Amino acid sequence: MSAILQILFDALSLGSLYALGALGIALIFGVMRLVNFAHGDVIAFSIFALLWPSTDAVAVIFAGNLPWFLLVPFVLVMGAGLSVLAEITVFRRFRKASPATMMIASFALGFVIRYFLLMLFSSRPKSISLLPALSQPVEILGARIPLLQVITIAVTVAILFGLTSFLKRTRFGLEMRAAAENFTMARVLGVRANRVIMGAFALSGALAAAIGLILGSQTGTADIQMGANVMLMAFIATVIGGLGSLPGAVIAGFLLGAASVVMQVTLPIDARPFRDAFVYGAVILVLIFRPQGLLAARGTKERV
Amino acid sequence: MKRRTYLTATLLGAALASTPARADDDRIVVGFATAESGFMQAYDKPAQDAAMIRIKEINDAGGLLGKQIEVVNADTKTDRAEGAKAGLSVIDQGADLVVVSCDYDFGAPAALTAESAGLVSFFLCAESIKAGIQGVGPHSFSASVLAAVQGATMAQWSYEKKGARSYYRLLDTWTEYNKGICDGFDWALPQLADATLVGEDTFKNEDASIAAQITRIKSLPEEPDAIMLCTMMPGAVSAIKQIRAAGINSMILNGSGVDGSYWLSAVPDLSNFFVPVQGSIYGDDPNADVTAFNAAYKEATGGDPSTQYVYPGYVLIDVWAKAVERAGTTDADAVVAELEKMNEEPTLFGPRTFSSEIHHQNKARYLIVETTNGKPGVVDEWTIPEAIPVADLMK
Repeated sequence: MSAILQILFDALSLGSLYALGALGIALIFGVMRLVNFAHGDVIAFSIFALLWPSTDAVAVIFAGNLPWFLLVPFVLVMGAGLSVLAEITVFRRFRKASPATMMIASFALGFVIRYFLLMLFSSRPKSISLLPALSQPVEILGARIPLLQVITIAVTVAILFGLTSFLKRTRFGLEMRAAAENFTMARVLGVRANRVIMGAFALSGALAAAIGLILGSQTGTADIQMGANVMLMAFIATVIGGLGSLPGAVIAGFLLGAASVVMQVTLPIDARPFRDAFVYGAVILVLIFRPQGLLAARGTKERV
Repeated sequence: MKRRTYLTATLLGAALASTPARADDDRIVVGFATAESGFMQAYDKPAQDAAMIRIKEINDAGGLLGKQIEVVNADTKTDRAEGAKAGLSVIDQGADLVVVSCDYDFGAPAALTAESAGLVSFFLCAESIKAGIQGVGPHSFSASVLAAVQGATMAQWSYEKKGARSYYRLLDTWTEYNKGICDGFDWALPQLADATLVGEDTFKNEDASIAAQITRIKSLPEEPDAIMLCTMMPGAVSAIKQIRAAGINSMILNGSGVDGSYWLSAVPDLSNFFVPVQGSIYGDDPNADVTAFNAAYKEATGGDPSTQYVYPGYVLIDVWAKAVERAGTTDADAVVAELEKMNEEPTLFGPRTFSSEIHHQNKARYLIVETTNGKPGVVDEWTIPEAIPVADLMK
């Protein structure tokens, strides 16, 4: 019983990470059909913002010493800020470009952010003690679960509820949903495009920063490539969830996390190094049977 | 027609004239084809700084064969194609010894260039059997110790000195280095009476979470005495942090790749944690000369050595210079012959042996560093009694 509970928590916490990432990508895809491959680098940037630039092996902590109630907003603002900056300086100029061009631009932006970090901090992964109070086990129904897992799941659920009510209940949310469904029509009806898009970027950046916080406290490491793996999984989640569909992205994120954990648990030892191949195999199967994704977004359907 | 022949002859003559004369000239040149930029730079530079310290010591003491050692550099930019070019560049500048990047994959292009020019090459700190005869050729060496020796050392030492009997093996499948540690562990474990492997698992260095692997350890009927963790940075910190956060307090045995105190802040109050090292960066090496070297390193670079991977750079210049001195020439074949005669050759960081079969250490003395409450320090030393057979290393 406690083992199953443990596995459930493992799956939910990994799924949370992927779901948050997928949500960040789907938000931007929704409003401007951009697959933002710089998302993973925003994750890394928001954690490196806690450190003072130095190429020494030992990390020089800067904002990382703040108490948690200041540290968490600081990181979120850093992520949101970088994302908005990217919108203003880069993506705004590509508004009329084809999605492929925008995607390439996002790759380029990702490289710029990564090499900027490489220049300031060197390639050596930095160790940080981020929210150390979370690195201890708690007892839940006989299972000893790392506190961070519990917090990760709780925070993700809270973010999902918060975002849902934001999108459903507020005027800004309504505008964002309208823009996601039909951007041109929304503009004609008086939705201010720049504001909506900037809002989406800010939210997406803050979500990336939240992932950074979770990854940072889980691994104790700030690495210029730390966002790459989550970004890839999150991108896959947005595709199988149905590009542009927010609920689809979240569900697919959780499914991917669960699939990864279940494969790790059930595969025989010799097959375990190829776990990801099995996970991607499952992804291909899903796409064969539902090429439009699990929940296709209304805005992306061809209209006759 | 005649004109063309003349042109060809001129070009040929020019090419011949510009071919650098080696071995018989009156310079002794060490060429570093290493990463001065890109991510390998963080790993190459410290060992190269240590090599420069040994070169300076030799030059201050009157040089090698009565000549001052000159140094030339070329940047591989952490790029394999650039690596081959960097190798050519230092060879063109007259290098007698080509020192290449720490890692096998990144150092091999320059080492292969040196091999085809018939020159001796040394990997700064590669720990794969391929960094040498097996992967490059008969003139290639590595200054470090094979990863397998680290795994075997930890298995034997924990068994003999800590009474460990039940072991769990956790392998990060990312690199050959990681597999090497576990291969050494696998070689040593069956030789230890009543030591058992109670479970094993794999993960990937970049995994965001190893929760499922930890759940498997925790579902064992009893916590294992020791976990053999075959991994490297940056995933190592993440794995160690997650193992301890889940409340598993078994001994954690590692390869040298996790040496250093720079990352310990990530896992506050880490205890029961063991790392094999060639020399101690913590100021408590049983050999006072190592502590003196650390001071020299700090004076030269402005900082203390951050890991033990500084030391192989010093060793490589040391053994190569000894071989040159004994051969009386920098001629590659003569130097290789002298290097291969080295049997338990004393160095600042333990004895070194090379043979015509292996240009790497398949047996070495290791200091054991234990971390208690976040404080690392040397507690013991261990030499595996028997060298790991080359056949087992080639698996």
